[in-house]
Amino acid sequence: MPTFGGISPAASSGLAALAPHAAAGVSNSAGPVEDSQEAPTPVSLYVHVPFCVSKCAYCDFYSEAAVDPARYAQFVDAVLFEAGHWSHYDLLDDVPTIYIGGGTPTIMGDELVRLVEGLMQTVRLRPGAEVTVETNPETTDIQMVARLVEAGVNRFSIGVQSFDDSVLRTLGRCHDVAQTQRALQALRESDIPFSIDLICGVPGQTFPSWEATLEQAVASGARHASVYPLAVEPGTPLEAAVLEGRTPAPDPDVAADMMLAAEVALTVGGMPRYEVANYAQPGHEARHNLVYWTGGAYLGVGPHAASMLPYPLYEAVAAGEGWEVAAPDAAHVPARARFTREVTLAEYLRYPLRRPEPLELLTAPDAAREDVMLGLRLTAGVLASQVDAAGLGGVLQDLAEQGLVELGADDSGDLRWATTQAGWLLGNQVFGAVWAGPEGS
Amino acid sequence: MTDPTLIRNFSIIAHIDHGKSTIADRVLQLTHTVEDRDMVEQVLDSMDIERERGITIKAQAVRVLYTADDGVTYTLNLIDTPGHVDFTYEVSRSLQACEGALLIVDATQGVEAQTVANALMAMNAHLEIIPLINKIDLPSADPDRVRHEIEEALAIPADEAVLASGKTGEGVREALEAVVRLVPHPVGDPAAPLKALIFDSYFDAYRGVVALIRVVDGRIAAGMKVSLMAAGTTTEVEEVGVRRPVHVAVDELGVGEVGYLVTGLKDTSLVKVGDTVTLAKHGATEPLPGYREVKPMVYTGLFPIDGDQYPELRDALDKLRLNDPSVIYEPESSHALGFGFRCGFLGLLHMEIVKERLEREFDLDLLATAPSVEYHVHTTKGDMLSIHSPQDMPDPGSIDRIEEPYLKVTVLVPPEFVGAIMELTELHRATFVDMQYLSATTVEMHYEMPLSELIMDFFDQLKSRTRGYASLDYEVMDYRPSHLVKLDVLLAGKAVDALSFIVHKDKAFARGKMLTEKLRGIIPRQMFEVPIQAAIGGKIIARETVRAMRKDVIAKCYGGDISRKRKLLEKQKKGKKRMKQVGTIEVPQEAFMAILKVDEG
Repeated sequence: MPTFGGISPAASSGLAALAPHAAAGVSNSAGPVEDSQEAPTPVSLYVHVPFCVSKCAYCDFYSEAAVDPARYAQFVDAVLFEAGHWSHYDLLDDVPTIYIGGGTPTIMGDELVRLVEGLMQTVRLRPGAEVTVETNPETTDIQMVARLVEAGVNRFSIGVQSFDDSVLRTLGRCHDVAQTQRALQALRESDIPFSIDLICGVPGQTFPSWEATLEQAVASGARHASVYPLAVEPGTPLEAAVLEGRTPAPDPDVAADMMLAAEVALTVGGMPRYEVANYAQPGHEARHNLVYWTGGAYLGVGPHAASMLPYPLYEAVAAGEGWEVAAPDAAHVPARARFTREVTLAEYLRYPLRRPEPLELLTAPDAAREDVMLGLRLTAGVLASQVDAAGLGGVLQDLAEQGLVELGADDSGDLRWATTQAGWLLGNQVFGAVWAGPEGS
Repeated sequence: MTDPTLIRNFSIIAHIDHGKSTIADRVLQLTHTVEDRDMVEQVLDSMDIERERGITIKAQAVRVLYTADDGVTYTLNLIDTPGHVDFTYEVSRSLQACEGALLIVDATQGVEAQTVANALMAMNAHLEIIPLINKIDLPSADPDRVRHEIEEALAIPADEAVLASGKTGEGVREALEAVVRLVPHPVGDPAAPLKALIFDSYFDAYRGVVALIRVVDGRIAAGMKVSLMAAGTTTEVEEVGVRRPVHVAVDELGVGEVGYLVTGLKDTSLVKVGDTVTLAKHGATEPLPGYREVKPMVYTGLFPIDGDQYPELRDALDKLRLNDPSVIYEPESSHALGFGFRCGFLGLLHMEIVKERLEREFDLDLLATAPSVEYHVHTTKGDMLSIHSPQDMPDPGSIDRIEEPYLKVTVLVPPEFVGAIMELTELHRATFVDMQYLSATTVEMHYEMPLSELIMDFFDQLKSRTRGYASLDYEVMDYRPSHLVKLDVLLAGKAVDALSFIVHKDKAFARGKMLTEKLRGIIPRQMFEVPIQAAIGGKIIARETVRAMRKDVIAKCYGGDISRKRKLLEKQKKGKKRMKQVGTIEVPQEAFMAILKVDEG
């Protein structure tokens, strides 16, 4: 029976311990939340900062470029107001992780520091909590890093993408490699762990270029790396360029080879893969992102930020805010609510507390399947007992026959399902089958 | 009973899109048969598909009362005929029920192939033809040229052609005046035994089979015992009436009248278009001339995408046939596609319409295999087999010769495209017969050509190579021996029976090669490599490979993305469901039609 590398037993059990669903997951969340004796539900916090120096060709995240800096202060006021408002529902009394992403949060300069300081006043952080700020090379300098660290940030994620200027130009990035090197130097001097993002499978990107990028990534001092094959997202300038034939479509075979090369280079460099696109030195996995993949609760503030709460928590908020909730339906008892507020920056600044739209309610079986689906993104996979409880044993057996997943024992002797090498790169076959469930095949 | 001298039975004939149904609409409005407020476009085209596609599939008959300039009120029976070459026989029977025809020609398009074909049919039926030049409100209308073409191409005097616009209603009254003045009233013997022509029929859920009839001799009334001569069936008339266009029962229908007959029968196949209704006792001894059995021209396999829907497909075909007895079907099983039916149709349009109706009206997802024709296979033992499906082709060793149906094809085209037609027909094994200039702008070209080549995307190619100017008509000629072979397609080394087709030996290599190339583009990458091969009798003649899919994973998936990315997976899954699982390979539906789109031109 194979054993799964990637996450050491200590880290693996550490992951389980920090995953908030251990305390507030679907099956456990049915209890009365108003019971004041019960420990508060751990809820991670995501802040979406919708500002960028300029829009990159491939990016489909919500952000606005070239915004009047006067807006930064208004935005920080709005976010702090919003976070403060939700904190009255006791949502932010045990926050295991904060992630300030975007966008390019560091573009806000002083206002970003004020945002971090304000959040520290607003939420109750769990001891040892992870506080990450996303940054880009063009807005990262040593003073900025130092002030953020002083305010409470203890992890950075920097959008390096490539150590090759021609690739950066194809991607429409607004920085060059020299700026990247200066930013990395600043991060190294702060001695705070940081992650770097890389993109492969870019039209025109050569293998030597990619291998050099991987080498520099390892040498950069990063303890974590994310590697994304370039995806053509609807509505982006990249999509238009591909449709009009100005840019060749990314070749999936090239992307596959580059993903394989990344896995080798980063593993050798001390950062084994622990998720489809994520690599880390043991113990430096992104704890905030693990919340997403393990069914934990999170609250997003800012325009286009997503939240997921156990349904009773959501119901309490909805009742307090006067949002209508659907009449109870015995066939579809909601276990979780996932919601976003898809509003523009201007709308958000006018009124940050709009009702969620779109809102998705997941039943317990939906949630169980989703947890398995997301859990299979992890190299460590999912406990066989969890798969069986979700009614997915047969589906996983079928996938195993296709060579996409395998059953193995982890270091504590528990049986786990995890993707094989083939199943990693053909993950959609696995995720699609799991989400469709036993009836869907 | 109406005085026959006050009856005018006429039909409207036209090339497709020349405005036949719109003129019919205006006639109904002008005569207050349908009031303006109840007017929907194309009243007589009652099926959604007819309205959407702007074509008429079923014949219709409607009685209108028209008070002419002479102050007399005439009974006009307007018979709307199908407008496509697939339904030529039905059209000929509808025309048989009339004494005159309004020949509609688009003032901007002029005479086209079906204008000629329909006019010739009307002449053969000895109808008085009244030309009507339509769409004169359009800026590009050129009535003088069109008049000239009508005279040149059809030898019909056109100096008095009615100029009309279905859109504005201009000229419609003049057209009705011409009908009253020029179309002869029906003549028959009221004392002779009943003879009535069935020119269409349909199934009514409450009343059973209803026939549309034209009384030639005698009279017909409810309660009479009648026999359908070709079908050899006897029944009692439940009701007769006229359509205005709602059904209005009448006591009886007499000489020259057109109306409906509730037959009391439940089986549509007994009520055949072209059959003669007479009295069960002391009836006519001779039927009306011109009846023939309708024979399908093209055959295709229809398979449910979801194999569990086979019983539903059978029920649907049973029900559909009630309304359209020209569809024939028999069970067919395929290793690749499971259980389905081999169905015969009057033509490609008919096939498309039936498939669409089955899918829409019965909520089925169907896969159609490439259409085939009926081959006559003469075995070495001296038997003759009618083969409708490549799968049924016997072992080559036992075949003495194969014959295939040939058509007489007429193409009308502007002179500058003659070269393009020559080239295209050459590619489709057509033999040139002759050509003649109908006018300075129209050449009529005649060919003899295998039907199997006509169904190979010929029509679309014809249109695209002549920028839409060419029009086409054809009729079946005879069967001729051809050197035909069965070409098999193998996916991952296994022959997929539903992809086999029959092809002329000289075309086999080229088509095999192009088909494998085409399939490589259609079959998506799978988790393993899929070789695609074309073979004749076990000999591989072409090969392509669909490489294995190596990367298919959503790499970026965080909080905000989860719902969206999951929807993406659902969409991916849905796309797969529309494909047919052949062994372990997912094959999109269009793969089974790919052979039609293979053209070496």
